[in-house]
Amino acid sequence: MADLPQDMQKREAGPTEKGERTRERNMYTPAVDIMERKDDIVLLADMPGVDETSVDITLEKNVLTIYGKVAEEIHSGYTLYLSEYGSGDYQRVFTLTEEVDREKIRATVKNGVLRLVLPKAEAVKTRKIEVKGEA
Amino acid sequence: MPKKSVVPQGKKSVPARREEYSPFGLLRQEMNRLFDNFLGGFEMQPFMGRRLGEFSPTVDITESDKAFRVSAELPGMEDKDIDVLLNKESITIKGEKKEEKEDKGKDYYHVERSYGSFSRTIPLPAEVDTDKVKAEFKKGLLTVTLPKTVQAIKQTKKIPVKTE
Repeated sequence: MADLPQDMQKREAGPTEKGERTRERNMYTPAVDIMERKDDIVLLADMPGVDETSVDITLEKNVLTIYGKVAEEIHSGYTLYLSEYGSGDYQRVFTLTEEVDREKIRATVKNGVLRLVLPKAEAVKTRKIEVKGEA
Repeated sequence: MPKKSVVPQGKKSVPARREEYSPFGLLRQEMNRLFDNFLGGFEMQPFMGRRLGEFSPTVDITESDKAFRVSAELPGMEDKDIDVLLNKESITIKGEKKEEKEDKGKDYYHVERSYGSFSRTIPLPAEVDTDKVKAEFKKGLLTVTLPKTVQAIKQTKKIPVKTE
């Protein structure tokens, strides 16, 4: 715990994050970037080894869970020489506020990066209010 | 700092505990809470020690009697952004992880992923047949298979162990 490697890309999930697991695999917390655009919020998560068929996104009330299942690497006949990254599943949980339009969330996966686009609800979009001079 | 609409969870959630009704359970719960808080302090910055823009991929190396296999996690990169260079003694993986252009000028409010150029050189302990090296990039994972030369394979000798 004391010295984390400099180049750490993903972190092993702590007990509060992973809950009780039914699969004997490691669980990792993917690194995420969250950014805000005018009409939506974009979330990018680094999940190497995951494709569109192996990622699950669930939204329950205001809790958004991303879960990526990584196929176990099979190195038949190979022995491990050096291992810097562990292989395992990804999970991370987010709380959404009322600002997000739940019906219109879109998700794509490309090159091991999950991209979630969370459109803002109409009510909270930034509007410009015209200023009129008095006649 | 804009108001957050998407908040990563985890740090504050407390797992359900079953021992809360016994007197020792209460003590244990309190101790656990103290430890959680203490350790939680370290986890404030989950990816600490890494500055923005620094990127160094993690690699796994496996070996069989016929080949080496080097794999690296390079999420968010394109195959054209990755260079695999090979010489007699080492293999170098080079590239640049670019920030997506369309995302520029946005209001970031949570940044953990890293970008930037990187280069990693891994020494090879045995001779490799350079003509037969294959590199594959799939789902953000780069896998380079380096078959050993016939000579290198032959050089591995099994030494019989005898008892006197």
